[in-house]
Amino acid sequence: MAALKGPGDRPGPPPTGPEPAPTSAGGYRAMDPRAVRATLGPPFAHAAVDPLVLEPPTIPLAPAPRAAGLGNLGGVSPSGDGPAGSVLRPASTGRGALESGIVLVDGEPVHARLVGRAGVRATLEIGQGDAIERHAVLLVEPPDAPAAPDGVRRREVVVGGWRVEVELESERRAALRERASQGRQAAVRGGPFEVRAIIPGRVVSLSIVAGDDVVAGQQLLVVEAMKMQNELRAPRDGHIDRVAVRAGETIEVGDLLLVIT
Amino acid sequence: MATSRSESRASLRKDGPGRRPPFRRVLIANRGEIAVRIIRACRELGIDAVAVYSDADASASHVRLADAAVRIGPAPPAESYLRIDAIVEAALASGAQAVHPGYGFLAERAAFARAVELAGLVFVGPPSTAIAALGDKLQARRTARDVGVPVVPGTLEPAPVDRPDQVAEIIAEAERIGFPMLVKAAAGGGGRGMRRVAGPAELPAALAAGSREAASAFGDGSVYLEREITPTRHIEVQLLGDVNGRVVALGERDCSLQRRHQKLVEEAPAPGLTTDERRALHDMAVRVASAAGLRNAATAEFLRSPDGAFYFLEVNTRLQVEHGVTELVTGIDIVCEQLRLAAGEPLAPAVLAAAERAAEPAGHAIEVRLSAEDPGRDFAPTPGRATRWRMPAGPGVRVDTGLEEGERVPPEYDNLVAKLMVHAGGRDAAIDRLIRSLDETEIAGIQTTLPFHRFVAGHPSFRAGRLSTDWVGEHWDGAAEFRGAARAAQLAGGLEALEDGIHDRPIGRPAAGGPAVGRAVPNPDGRWSRSGREAVVDRWPR
Repeated sequence: MAALKGPGDRPGPPPTGPEPAPTSAGGYRAMDPRAVRATLGPPFAHAAVDPLVLEPPTIPLAPAPRAAGLGNLGGVSPSGDGPAGSVLRPASTGRGALESGIVLVDGEPVHARLVGRAGVRATLEIGQGDAIERHAVLLVEPPDAPAAPDGVRRREVVVGGWRVEVELESERRAALRERASQGRQAAVRGGPFEVRAIIPGRVVSLSIVAGDDVVAGQQLLVVEAMKMQNELRAPRDGHIDRVAVRAGETIEVGDLLLVIT
Repeated sequence: MATSRSESRASLRKDGPGRRPPFRRVLIANRGEIAVRIIRACRELGIDAVAVYSDADASASHVRLADAAVRIGPAPPAESYLRIDAIVEAALASGAQAVHPGYGFLAERAAFARAVELAGLVFVGPPSTAIAALGDKLQARRTARDVGVPVVPGTLEPAPVDRPDQVAEIIAEAERIGFPMLVKAAAGGGGRGMRRVAGPAELPAALAAGSREAASAFGDGSVYLEREITPTRHIEVQLLGDVNGRVVALGERDCSLQRRHQKLVEEAPAPGLTTDERRALHDMAVRVASAAGLRNAATAEFLRSPDGAFYFLEVNTRLQVEHGVTELVTGIDIVCEQLRLAAGEPLAPAVLAAAERAAEPAGHAIEVRLSAEDPGRDFAPTPGRATRWRMPAGPGVRVDTGLEEGERVPPEYDNLVAKLMVHAGGRDAAIDRLIRSLDETEIAGIQTTLPFHRFVAGHPSFRAGRLSTDWVGEHWDGAAEFRGAARAAQLAGGLEALEDGIHDRPIGRPAAGGPAVGRAVPNPDGRWSRSGREAVVDRWPR
């Protein structure tokens, strides 16, 4: 598994504020909306294996990597030394997106693809050329497992006789969930606390301005989504440090709404 | 009580003239793969096979394959497969003439053999007297010494336990034998009652503890001392004996790859022995067995020290789990021979011829035990349902199993789910065949020892024949192997999810064709209006 890097070197999500412009070097890296997070299922917690984030390959728009002679189809070079500063955009969508055989694993390009999918059988190819590793895998829907939460796909993956339960989830969704649970802790602990949108919609009205003191349960703002007016109330007592949205603004899931200190 | 389906089958069977089955009907007092194995031998010999089963096994393979099946009790072994009275009663009620015990459960209980004999039935195995004599390891050691077979250095009489007046004496004896040593139970097996002693100070406590454990496990607290030979190879000799007292050896097996005294991989012949060494080893085994009055099938176990010396360890008076590798190399069906020998027939000419050739074996066979255990978690048991179960096939491959796809491995019994055996012209070819077979094996739903066996088969030191009972501890890092596989599994699952587009629908936005837009419905739980924070926490799974 030489082609797979260890976890832990992935840049984290942005600290605050609206999503910054995507950059390719350091700090926050724009995550492809199709990115998938693969986590070991609960029975495998003992193994302490970190989650893996997979993204479809991104291809540079300019300048074209002439040296490789691959035009725009070659994807990011596996050594990661592609043209610096070039704008990245997701490759074409659909199954063809993975035909290049390159996938970003925790942000690093890795040659890996799944070939010969037939029923539950498939072959995982890692690496390229003479160094290619092939693993026969079984991708089984666990029959006895309790129903997965909405948006989470469970798979029993058998590799080399090892049975591994993997949970697959959209990285965006997983990050949001994580932020929610961190936020919950922050709400209890005190300190700056970001209130983020959990549904998309339009801000109808704001009941507070920056500098106000609020008490837990006090109405903060109203969001209209799917023709429903939803009140957002303060999760705890505090001081409105900053309001990041205006009335009439359209918001997406995960957008910062305001900060309570 | 017994549901008999034998009549219809018997009419279909074409017994050739002069081929009389050794018995008309035999009861198999076991379950799982070994019960299936014995039923197959019965069918080939034209014997009606009667199975017994507990409630956990009502639909198991051995019940389906048998001509008749008798329920003997609930799932716990003590209330079913270990009940001597229920099994003897089942044998009598079903009209069986003989009882085959398989291995494990009651196979080496002299009391069981005696109960079968007293009921007027034939016990397919050594006589109860031989089982008793060889089951007492101290007595077996004395027998070996009497016929000039070297035993592992140690004591030949029970060691004094809780006798302060004799402590100095036993420590002096221990110093003479040499440390480190093992305290072993005379009635023991499977490592119970066994204690490792590194120095004289630990000895009195180890004797007391070993004796206590032996007394509770076997009802006999006798313990003895034996020097620990390390590193060592575990090599055993397959024996067959007839009613005339003639005993022959069918060759040896190397069973060195063990974990906590549980064998994991066995092969025949033992690699690296010369013809003379084989001949000497087989001769020692035959001498001990003959002196003990052995009949039917048994196995004499030896340790081989690094200097090449053999030491007698014990005799197992039953069919071994790993008998199949000897069958593949010799071409002798040991279970069929057991049944013929139990019926009083002399050793068959084919067996005698195989015994003649035993020191110069042609071909090589390897067995791996696929068990429902997690080799990444110290071989912890992993009972469950095998949702996928595809065993290898092709030239030189034999699979003995009682499990089928979709069936459960019950938690009450042994974890062995299949024995994969390969046979080829030489050891290298057999290892290649083993690797190929393991690659073909597909199991899902339960973790098995398959990854461990793949590791062994592909390891250079195994191919080089550098075997010892320390091999597993020295080479196997299950947790690390699992982590490597987990990364590949995450990658495979992730690639599949990317290809399938599990989240084509952006988060939080209704799917196309989802809930109708435009109709105001009250918030069903009002969580959002209660608190945005709570809603986030509640809505997103933790």
